Amino acid sequence: MASFANHDFGGSESEDEDFNPAPAVDSDNEEETHSKANNKSSNREDEENDNEDEGSSPPKSKQQDRKKSQDDETDGLNDANGDNEGEEDEEDAEGGEDDEEDEEDDDEEDEVTGHPRKRRRRDARLQFIDVEAEVDDEDEEDLDEDEDLPDEMHPDDLVDMPAGAETDDRRHRELDRKRDLEANLDAEKQAALLKERYGRNRTTRNADSAMVSQSLLVPTVDDPSIWAVKCKPGKEREVVMSIMKRFEDRINTRDPLGIHSAFERGGTAMIGHVYVEARKREDVIAACDGIQNAYVRPNAPVLIQVGEMTSLLKTTASKTLEPGMYVRIKRGKYEGDLAAVDAVESNGLEVTLRIVPRLDYGNNEDPGALILDASGKRKRLPPKSTKANRPPARLFSETEAKKRHGRILSLGTGTLGKKVWNYGPDTYVDGFLVKDFKINHLQTENVNPTLEEVTKFASSNEEGTDNLDLAALAATIRETSTAVEFLPGDMVEIFQGEQQGVCGKAIGVHNQVVTLRVSEGEMKGQIIEAPVKALRKLFRDGDHVKVIGGSKYTDEVGMVIKVKDDRVTLLTDSNNQEITVFARDLRTASDSGAAINSSKYDLYDLVQLDASTVACVIKVDRDSLRVLDQNDTVRSLLPSNISNRIERRRHAVATDRDGSEIRNDDTVKENYGEGRSGRVLHIHRNFLFIQNRTQTENAGLFVVRSSNVTTVAAKGGKVNSAGPDLSKMNPAFQRGNAANGNAMGPPKLMGRDRLLGKTVTVRKGPYKGLLGIVKDSSDESARVELHGKNKIISVSRESLAIKDPITGQNVSVGFGAGRGRPGAVGGRFGAGTPRASDGFAGGRTPMAPPSGGRTPAWNQQAGGRTPAAAMHGGRTPAWHQQASSARTPAWGHADGNRTTYGGSGSQTAYGGGGSSTWNPNSRTPFHGSHGTSSGGSGDAYTGPKTPAWHAPTPSSSHSHNLGSRTPAYHANSASSAPISAPTPGATPGAAFDAPTPGFGAPTPGDTSDRPTPRGYGGYGGVYSTPAAAPTPGAFPDTPGYGMPETPAAVVDEDPRIVGFLAGYGGWGEGTRGEGEWFEWHRSAWDDMVLWAFHI
Amino acid sequence: MFFLHEMERTILIHPSFFGPRMRDYIDTQLLHDVEGKNAGSYFIICVMEGYHVSEGRVVPGSSHAEYTVHYRAVVWRPFKGEVVNGKLKQLDGIVTSVVETGFFVDVGPISAFVAKTMIPSDIKFDGNATPAQWTDNADQVIEKGTHIRLKVKGIRVELGSMFAIATIKEDYLGPLA
Repeated sequence: MASFANHDFGGSESEDEDFNPAPAVDSDNEEETHSKANNKSSNREDEENDNEDEGSSPPKSKQQDRKKSQDDETDGLNDANGDNEGEEDEEDAEGGEDDEEDEEDDDEEDEVTGHPRKRRRRDARLQFIDVEAEVDDEDEEDLDEDEDLPDEMHPDDLVDMPAGAETDDRRHRELDRKRDLEANLDAEKQAALLKERYGRNRTTRNADSAMVSQSLLVPTVDDPSIWAVKCKPGKEREVVMSIMKRFEDRINTRDPLGIHSAFERGGTAMIGHVYVEARKREDVIAACDGIQNAYVRPNAPVLIQVGEMTSLLKTTASKTLEPGMYVRIKRGKYEGDLAAVDAVESNGLEVTLRIVPRLDYGNNEDPGALILDASGKRKRLPPKSTKANRPPARLFSETEAKKRHGRILSLGTGTLGKKVWNYGPDTYVDGFLVKDFKINHLQTENVNPTLEEVTKFASSNEEGTDNLDLAALAATIRETSTAVEFLPGDMVEIFQGEQQGVCGKAIGVHNQVVTLRVSEGEMKGQIIEAPVKALRKLFRDGDHVKVIGGSKYTDEVGMVIKVKDDRVTLLTDSNNQEITVFARDLRTASDSGAAINSSKYDLYDLVQLDASTVACVIKVDRDSLRVLDQNDTVRSLLPSNISNRIERRRHAVATDRDGSEIRNDDTVKENYGEGRSGRVLHIHRNFLFIQNRTQTENAGLFVVRSSNVTTVAAKGGKVNSAGPDLSKMNPAFQRGNAANGNAMGPPKLMGRDRLLGKTVTVRKGPYKGLLGIVKDSSDESARVELHGKNKIISVSRESLAIKDPITGQNVSVGFGAGRGRPGAVGGRFGAGTPRASDGFAGGRTPMAPPSGGRTPAWNQQAGGRTPAAAMHGGRTPAWHQQASSARTPAWGHADGNRTTYGGSGSQTAYGGGGSSTWNPNSRTPFHGSHGTSSGGSGDAYTGPKTPAWHAPTPSSSHSHNLGSRTPAYHANSASSAPISAPTPGATPGAAFDAPTPGFGAPTPGDTSDRPTPRGYGGYGGVYSTPAAAPTPGAFPDTPGYGMPETPAAVVDEDPRIVGFLAGYGGWGEGTRGEGEWFEWHRSAWDDMVLWAFHI
Repeated sequence: MFFLHEMERTILIHPSFFGPRMRDYIDTQLLHDVEGKNAGSYFIICVMEGYHVSEGRVVPGSSHAEYTVHYRAVVWRPFKGEVVNGKLKQLDGIVTSVVETGFFVDVGPISAFVAKTMIPSDIKFDGNATPAQWTDNADQVIEKGTHIRLKVKGIRVELGSMFAIATIKEDYLGPLA
């Protein structure tokens, strides 16, 4: 017999039954099944019968009475409703209970014989009732369920009311009393009562097991063991399912599987194992043998220690995502973006997110690419959307999309005024991208949404009204709130829990608990502790605060002007701007002025970070610095990370790409890239830190290499320059003929001009085609006495072609005429620079083939060998090979090793020094850039020159080295390609650099002061491949070769357990231990998907 | 709020001022040094008569004489929550930048800013008026030169100056008739 309360339930339940009176059906069968019920109630029934005897009223009137009484219970109405609900539960529960009770009944049946009871019951109950229906067996079966109830019912509701009951209100009163009692029981007790009685299926027998602590449920050695079976990683779930299937298959056969459960913990460290609960190893093997992906060998199943069993089922409570929460996306285009959870799939693996899309609407791509994709063809799009270059996050705009992608844009079916667009594969609702994501691609913890991000989601709802879901936001934020946010001294407020509204000053923070001294109210002065989650920072109007993080306003200082819940609006000190941030992102600022700056570094200071890196300060914070280093990267660092400050060198000089000087405060302009210009702030080696006041980022600072800029305006300081003026030293510049002064002039050669006395034709101009003799010549022009007209004209040297006076054939003057007189062709060399595009020069540019007849003989010869030259990578000019010494130029080869083109080696160089200083380097890059690639005869022509000029004169090369002082050169010469590589793969830009060394050579003294040595002069002698070496400027820095994006291997942290419990739902005669084991299973698996099946 | 505050100050006198009128010079120097100056969280409005000057002492190593002056002064220290009257220095925001809304008020030596959130909602910014003004289109007009009563919400002290934010969003605050 259960407690008294049990009867209450029975009573209340039976009341409803009464309104649908069950026909009193009794039969032998029923008697047997309910013998227990009868037993229970027999005593009471006797009483009842007495009562019923006394009052004899028809059942109907009693019902009315009962209704009346029910109405009378005015306050009981709700209770009644509650009762009804409770009853439903009970009925559900009873289904399970029946089984056990049946068992019990069976037991009892042995002891109690059915007949006496049957008779008695019939006598007691049915004496006033027409019992004709009782013979109906079918009914009886139908009503089985109803008949199960009586044992729980109040006896007087078991059957139709006996006659005379209507006058007897004793039972009504009794009932009312019970109901009152019931109503008076507080809800918790009631729930406990319910739970005790019906809450558990298998523990009703020992009803107090609900109180048993978890520790007692832990499996013992008496429980079945758990065995680990290896399986293919990732296939754990399949294996478990297979085992379950096998179990089901064999359940009713002769050899059922002897296992109790199987489960897996695929997503965790236990990956690659399934766990089978069984008594014997053999059972495990039998269960797993032959199952695909399960690796079971006779000794393979590993027994799990009893103590470790619990660990197997330990789950780290995963944060359950709910719609409205915010997450961050871990990878892909939206990496790092905030997203709002729209819906969570029931399997918990996928969520539908709302994202502010990042679309370029095809503006940056090949127009056809997306279409191709849409049609199913896979086209590899260029890797776009790295985090750096992805489009900005903006709401979807159909007008933008229509511009280029009208074909893949279609109006979707929206509901209730939502604008839905299908654009490509994705759907956009109200401007947001709505997309499914796997949970493990999301960051659900430490989301830290900033207010700006969140307002994007909020404000964009209907008509931009601010319907920020603060509750959801608060939930997200609270999750992330950590103790770190609170520091002793902070004013905090408890905003939830019993102590809500209490505020005080934090005096200590330990883990997640903050100790605070209450500053206001009744509890003032008390020290209490509160969990971090219930706390928020407290600010009041007028507080002077600093934004410490989590928003774009970091480091702003201002005064609080409004506080609403978690949001604090403050007015910044700097510009009286109103900004709103979360309280957690604020900290009380010291009351003293914020402007005091203790940093020993100032804005725009040049600082040394390490031996090879310098940087310029672009922002000074209270305790950190933001610097732009020489590689154009911005970093934040502590002042202690800086080794020292570099004083500004007033006399630092660099050379720009034209070889002209750059000094501090000069205005320079970038040659490539964005063409930025600005004032030189610092010169460090060949890096220039340039300030551009129109640029906002990095405090207007950027860094370039000196070789990438040209001087726009020098700040008149050159007069004082310590070193010699380069431009004055350079004959080419002095001549001033070269366009904008950067073309390398021809070699100024000694001796008589070779052109004098030559028979020439004029190649262009009004005298074109006329023959004459050169009477006089200067650097640029020649005076030609025409044969046909007695007249001496002045013609540009470039427009003259030398003819053999007798044959009229073209003569390659400069070369054919002998080494001694190179001067005549000086112009041609000049023409060799890219700028001179006409005439002879054309022949030298690789693009234009040499103009047949005018090509010097050697040139053609060289041309013939071009392929060979090309095969040598263009390094070795054809004539080179032919020459006995590889360094002997073709036109010099008659002379063997002796150098140069201009006759005796010692004479070659302009300015003496025995080196071909003027030179060649100017060409080198130029030729190189083409010669190596084209292999045309032009290359052969041009290529060889270079080596010729310096190659043979080792002494000269030496001097070059001195002059150039290129560390880079030295470094690279070692590793450079073998000889003859005078034609480095320098970019065309190198051509402009080239002149520098030329100048440098004759002016060694000058270069000593140059912070940006230039390498060109040097490699002549060694024939190093300057490909990389001396032309640092020629090769744009490519920091862009970043590391390839390697998505981190993400371990699937799915803590759920998949398994099945063989014993679930009543299978087998579970021992007590098993029952608890199951309990333990269940309690441990509260939040996991349990693949259980009932048998 | 105004207070009488006792302070002391050290004054250095150059030897050229040594002589019978030295006391006058010290007076002048003191008034010049402290009156109207911001001394941290308060302003020194006026130095009271009858201050005490200590014996002079020649500083070793230099020829200056050092006098310590004890004086009393009327100081004004603004407090949070204090209601003050001010004269509008300028109206902020002909520029249509919405964030910069509000107006500045000179309250004695400090400049107070009344932000938009601190202004009753019925008083709106009218940028078209000349001069631009905050008005409720009735009797309350806040423009440059308006006398206004406001309540200090917060004070920021910077070196040599003070800055406050204030509100008129309470009863009896706002422009004075």
